[in-house]
Amino acid sequence: MTSVGSRSLGERKLPPYIPLLFPAVAFMVLMYIWPFVSSVLQSFLVGKGQPSLANYVKVWELYRKDIVFTFGITLFNTALTGVVAVIFSVYFRIRQNRISALLSAIFKLPIFIPFVVVSQMMNSFLAPHGLLNTALAQLGIVNLEKPLQLFNFAGLSFGFAWKQIPFAVLIIHGGFQMIDNSYIEAARSVGAKMPSIILRVLVPMNKSSIIVALVLVYSQIIGTFTLPYMLIGGKVPTTITVDIAHRVNYFRDFGVANALGVCSYIMVLFTAAYYLRSKIREARQEVSG
Amino acid sequence: MKKRSIPIAFLLVFVFGLLAVQGAVAQRSRLIFMTAGDVNMLALGQNVFAPGFTAENPGVQIITIHTGPGNAGSQTIFEKLLAEKKANRTVSDVDVALVHEIFMKWAMDEDLLQPYAQKTNTWKYVTSPFAKTTLGVNVEGYAMPLFQSQTAIAYNPDYVKNPPKSYAELKEWVKKNPGKFGYNGIKGGASGVAFVMGWVYAETGKYQKYAVTGPFEKSEVNSWEPVFKDLKEFNKNIVITAGNVGTLDALNRGEIWMGPVWVDMFFTFMNDGKMDPKTKLALPEPGMPGQPMFFVIPKNAPNPDLSRKFIEYVTSPKVQADEIVRRFNWYPGIDGSALKGSIPQDIYDKIYHDVTPADLQKKGLAFPLADYYSAILEAYERWAQ
Repeated sequence: MTSVGSRSLGERKLPPYIPLLFPAVAFMVLMYIWPFVSSVLQSFLVGKGQPSLANYVKVWELYRKDIVFTFGITLFNTALTGVVAVIFSVYFRIRQNRISALLSAIFKLPIFIPFVVVSQMMNSFLAPHGLLNTALAQLGIVNLEKPLQLFNFAGLSFGFAWKQIPFAVLIIHGGFQMIDNSYIEAARSVGAKMPSIILRVLVPMNKSSIIVALVLVYSQIIGTFTLPYMLIGGKVPTTITVDIAHRVNYFRDFGVANALGVCSYIMVLFTAAYYLRSKIREARQEVSG
Repeated sequence: MKKRSIPIAFLLVFVFGLLAVQGAVAQRSRLIFMTAGDVNMLALGQNVFAPGFTAENPGVQIITIHTGPGNAGSQTIFEKLLAEKKANRTVSDVDVALVHEIFMKWAMDEDLLQPYAQKTNTWKYVTSPFAKTTLGVNVEGYAMPLFQSQTAIAYNPDYVKNPPKSYAELKEWVKKNPGKFGYNGIKGGASGVAFVMGWVYAETGKYQKYAVTGPFEKSEVNSWEPVFKDLKEFNKNIVITAGNVGTLDALNRGEIWMGPVWVDMFFTFMNDGKMDPKTKLALPEPGMPGQPMFFVIPKNAPNPDLSRKFIEYVTSPKVQADEIVRRFNWYPGIDGSALKGSIPQDIYDKIYHDVTPADLQKKGLAFPLADYYSAILEAYERWAQ
């Protein structure tokens, strides 16, 4: 490693940080950037490596409904998670007593439960004659002959919300804890009601952690395979992840699988770009302010 | 002084222990057994085959490696062998592999296997047509089936007095009983795939061409549009369940009255008390596909004689009767008549009660040839969704 550092490039010596950065950068390139680039490249290849757009044509013909569905369910659940998580976080921030402490402890449990377990749980909970429907039938709300059908957008959203809201609360609540009580008291003393304290003091001051939470939740939902597979696997429409597994398992068709992958990268890149831009803007503000 | 001697003594014991263990291992020969399939295949390897074979052949240690369920599991094994070939390895790491049908096509195309089956002393029991050609690929001599799994329609006799005898009758039944038939589509597991293959056989009447003789013709694919439009109509009156297990669960909870299942899963659920024992099976005309899992030996297997001995053991009538049929509820890989006397009558009756050996002979179909197989799945996505 040192020999690389002392080797001279023409007249000038390499700056010392290059060899220091090398292991980390090499790891990143090898393990993340190269697979990413090769996945994008392969999506444009068919057969024995001829460049073609055929994979994308197939994606358009067979899977455009699924792409729209994936995008829809991701946006909806990110928004839902955001709203509910902010409400809970505000509650945990403002009411600090034993009940809220207990609740917030229970609330952390889903974070540690793997998606595959959540999927199995939702599977028996949401089934037409599952726990939820039979309980509602006991109360006379639902007729078991025509039970609620939840192996669809609604059930999937319930599963995602159950798993992701606690995770978002963990991040957002942490942000709220950093806000000093004096801000809330100051707002109260000039007559602000609770909704305006939340919307005009707490949320704006905590914007960055809310965005972090939303970006993470968004990209996790796009990439989740088990929950959609176990809940709505064979249905139409389904999510991109289920389609990717189908292309690989049944056809060994990595071309179309990669093309579907590229669609999900684009969806994620778009939030990542937004997130990075807002981070850079923040950093600039801090410097100038 | 005394204090120091204790750790030294420990160290000595440890080192000698290690040498002893290594000596023992060196004397024993190792057999690497790679298997695709669900976790039950891992259990089969670790808890049944390994101790059983080692008891008969002391000094042989079986190491079971599990690669995962479905075609993806077989694909992992294929990629391992292909990588060895591309790296010009002269000795493979794998002694024996247990794989799905599609693997045979991939591996035969790449010439990764060795012919061994005729040399085994159990070859005489193998009568399954799958051991000759599978998915249209000639595999005779390269593969021996461990078991045959079969799909069939399971139904609840409380609601279904006269189960449909054919796909045509099933269509009528579904119209009269909307929402009471369920299957898992084509992305949720192979019982749904099998149901769709059966649908295509029934509607086109071209089982022989699609699954046995070939050849693959693009014009056939184009002729399927009405077949799948019909299936799309059918799908409006049925429920798409959440996977192979999802169909069994839905039957069990009374959500649906009828649905295609894997027969072995069905009996295993029943033995575990997870299935209403009243539930019955039927094989509608013209039949539904099933598939075997095959034993193969890689071309460069390190101990081909030992590999063959292992396969002889697991395809012997005794192991087939006790483990494959009694414990795991599959149909045997070898001819059923070889098992006579090895299986108690009540178990024989249970397994062959609804679907008789004669039914199996006539309506236990094969999956289509590989090209038709892919084309049917894609046609489903194109026209039936």
